[in-house]
Amino acid sequence: MNFLGYKRPDGKMGVRNHVVILPSVACSNEVCNAIARKVKGTISIPHQHGCAQLAFDAEQTARTLIGVGKNPNVAAVLVIGLGCEVVNSTMIASKIAESGKPVKNLVIQEVGGSPKTIKEGVKIAKEMVSFASRLKREKSKPNSLILGVECGGSDACSGLSANPALGVTSDLLIKEGGTIILSETTESIGAEHILAKRAINKKVREKILEIVMRTEMRALNLGLDIGKANPAPGNYEGGITTLEEKSLGCVMKGGTSKVMEVLEYSELPTQKGLVLMDTPGHDAESMTGLIAGGTQIIAFTTGRGNPLGSPIAPVIKIASNSYLYSKMKDNMDINAGEIVTGNKTVQEIGEKIFREVFRVANGKLTKSEIWGHQEFAINRIGPSF
Amino acid sequence: MSKVIENLILSHSKDNVATAKSPIKSGTSLTISKGKKIIVKEEIPFAHKIALRGIPRDGAVIKYGERIGRAIREIKPGELVHIHNVVGERGRSKGRKKG
Repeated sequence: MNFLGYKRPDGKMGVRNHVVILPSVACSNEVCNAIARKVKGTISIPHQHGCAQLAFDAEQTARTLIGVGKNPNVAAVLVIGLGCEVVNSTMIASKIAESGKPVKNLVIQEVGGSPKTIKEGVKIAKEMVSFASRLKREKSKPNSLILGVECGGSDACSGLSANPALGVTSDLLIKEGGTIILSETTESIGAEHILAKRAINKKVREKILEIVMRTEMRALNLGLDIGKANPAPGNYEGGITTLEEKSLGCVMKGGTSKVMEVLEYSELPTQKGLVLMDTPGHDAESMTGLIAGGTQIIAFTTGRGNPLGSPIAPVIKIASNSYLYSKMKDNMDINAGEIVTGNKTVQEIGEKIFREVFRVANGKLTKSEIWGHQEFAINRIGPSF
Repeated sequence: MSKVIENLILSHSKDNVATAKSPIKSGTSLTISKGKKIIVKEEIPFAHKIALRGIPRDGAVIKYGERIGRAIREIKPGELVHIHNVVGERGRSKGRKKG
């Protein structure tokens, strides 16, 4: 199945055409917000990071911001820095510019304060929006799609309806040459043997086991039980009893393909097919890692009901049960609860999600987009200093 | 893969628990296989699990054909299976029972 996408200079295909005003550091947030308020067609992506971070933690924030800018759903980027931050805005801008798309950089301390930077930024943003608005969608092959598969607010139906159905979608897209990124390492704990068995080679198998053990030990070394936060209170109320039960349902979203590669947070896949990304169970952080890794669309299953979206990727919400679908219909795109009631099969809903992915790729807005959900959270792996 | 029996979803033939498709009242009789009935011992809320067979204390609770946790006391057929009688063994400092 083909779709109509925006071809970027690096050959990648976007399903959206965003002009992003990107702060490299929290200190630039309000200047970015002010520019985005003044120029229709731009989005500002404020975040809390970019300074007082050390080594691998600063590197992960930089990798994430660069990946977000390079995402094929983004037409052009204006990066705004303060000037004294660790995650330097000029470096971020030049790395994003490697993709060939229009990128500009302003530094508040160099331009001379907030109002001057806003004024300068508005001029640049206006040009970028004008440029992006003239781009036309063109025929794109399904092998250019990266679909992120996510779950949040799961219930005990998730692993019986929405997640296996999304697994069918994953297998279908992989058959068409596309890529699936399965994330949320915490929710692989207790199901890693299933993924490891499907690893394409020994190196990938060992890496799967390593990221799962690393996540589990991070909690255990602090003397803490993961079960106090994951499963979350709502998961327990929804009938999920243990982390293993949640995980066994969670990994079904990836389908049945071989695992080709394991990525660190925000890394770009180098392989097609099913790849894993090491992200936490925190959905906004996980989805931010996915979009930084080049994901154009996210399919998100939920049993308790979750409204989250993303500033960059359309997020398709799939309800695991019909109670939720009717209660939160405004936030749900597809009802997999029909599997539970016996009206539809896992295969039928999987095919329905697959068709929806292509409709959304062609421009259909998801509920999360309509409501303006743009949650963005960069995963931290070190404290602030 | 998963199979519907009466008001329950059984995700794998090895499972000793099944998931309620809608709330099930205490005292309901469910035929879980040919000639095999269980009486529901307590209200089972929507999407919660019921024991199809007896699970001894420290016995494995099986869903999706996989171990999802350990019974912390004896669970009788027809009882609700949840956090009051099962613990997970992963991501917990006191998860796995020694020996």
